[in-house]
Amino acid sequence: MPNAIINLTELLARVENDRELVRELLSIFKDEFPGHLQALREAVDSMDGDRVTAEAHTLKGMLSNLAATSAADAAARLEQLGRNREVSKFQEACSSFETVSKDLLQQLDVCMPEVRG
Amino acid sequence: MRILIADDESMSRKLLQKTLERAGYEVTAVENGRLAAEQLCLADGPRLALLDWVMPEMDGPGVCREVRKRNVQSYVYMVLLTSKESKEDVVAGLESGADDYLTKPFDPEELKARLRTGLRILSLEDRLIEAREEMRFQATHDGLTSLWNRGVMMDLLGRELARSRRENVSTAILMCDLDHFKSVNDTYGHATGDEVLKETAKRLLASVRSYDFVGRYGGEEFLVVLNNCKPPFALARAEEIRRAISQKPMPSSSGPVPVTMSLGLLLSHEWGFRPLEELLHEADVALYAAKAAGRNCVKLASPNTSLVAPEPQEQAHIRMRR
Repeated sequence: MPNAIINLTELLARVENDRELVRELLSIFKDEFPGHLQALREAVDSMDGDRVTAEAHTLKGMLSNLAATSAADAAARLEQLGRNREVSKFQEACSSFETVSKDLLQQLDVCMPEVRG
Repeated sequence: MRILIADDESMSRKLLQKTLERAGYEVTAVENGRLAAEQLCLADGPRLALLDWVMPEMDGPGVCREVRKRNVQSYVYMVLLTSKESKEDVVAGLESGADDYLTKPFDPEELKARLRTGLRILSLEDRLIEAREEMRFQATHDGLTSLWNRGVMMDLLGRELARSRRENVSTAILMCDLDHFKSVNDTYGHATGDEVLKETAKRLLASVRSYDFVGRYGGEEFLVVLNNCKPPFALARAEEIRRAISQKPMPSSSGPVPVTMSLGLLLSHEWGFRPLEELLHEADVALYAAKAAGRNCVKLASPNTSLVAPEPQEQAHIRMRR
């Protein structure tokens, strides 16, 4: 898949080709990701460095587990900005993250039938 | 093998759980550090743990510190899982008491290999503990009969006497000796003699309460300590022990061997604060009296109707003829 955000090949290798587990992981992700994304947005808007760090860290972990490297990198950048209290860069970094996330959520719907096969 | 997973992020928990269950582990998964520390500090808690670094309530290094501080009886092998990879973080993690660390996202084969290292360490610890317990047993028990050895009996008796004096109760000391044991060895051979000693130990243990002490004092000599023994029953209990030995011949590979036992009984409350060695000597004198009275009987050592100790020469003679 061109410009794939989730690297399905890597993901399947990581779960030892357990497609059932991939489905469960994607399902947890679909349930929990929007809530964390919203919490991150709120933390960015209120310029709360600690919360930005914590939420970005959680999102980074979730995305790494899905082998969504580019999205995980974007979350890692936000985590680092939060840790360094670089408040002025929060908005721009969060917007980039949101853009990647939008693509990711779209890709998820494509992924689901694929792993079913 | 049981393993604890602590991760606040549900995808990671699921991923770890499935990977480890597939590898044959029995997984307990918790979502914060406090719960992890509680589980790991339980006496029968998991001994292998995968701990996320960043967690609510207590982080991974915090869990490691807590577990090491509480110094739980068995070693807990802890691996920190982290997306942090700077050198300082790794050092801080290991300094907190972690045994290893793994960077997220993990590779399943590497994860399993690292856990196998943990299993090797834990199995090494098990073998060392087993060896230590074996040595402890050997240092405190008689090799042939597995009864307490003489040194331990002295220690136990000393403590028991102190306690009985404090609580104003009586401890019964029984010096027991198999009669004519030399002839058992001469007639049936030493291997049968050993079987008789083992059977004697078994019967002695079976005729006392779980909190009494039975030890091998010397060759065919045994020491029995009846804790908190009511004086009116002491003689009857000594008689029971004597009968337990003599009632039925001892089974052995050479066939049944008839054996009897002579006993010297002493009740501690009748002897005030006399030292342990003196009490044992008096019990031994009572044992000589039982031998002199024809064997297979019990004689009570009493300070009021003091038994006359045999002359040293006669004493040696009786000992030889035991």
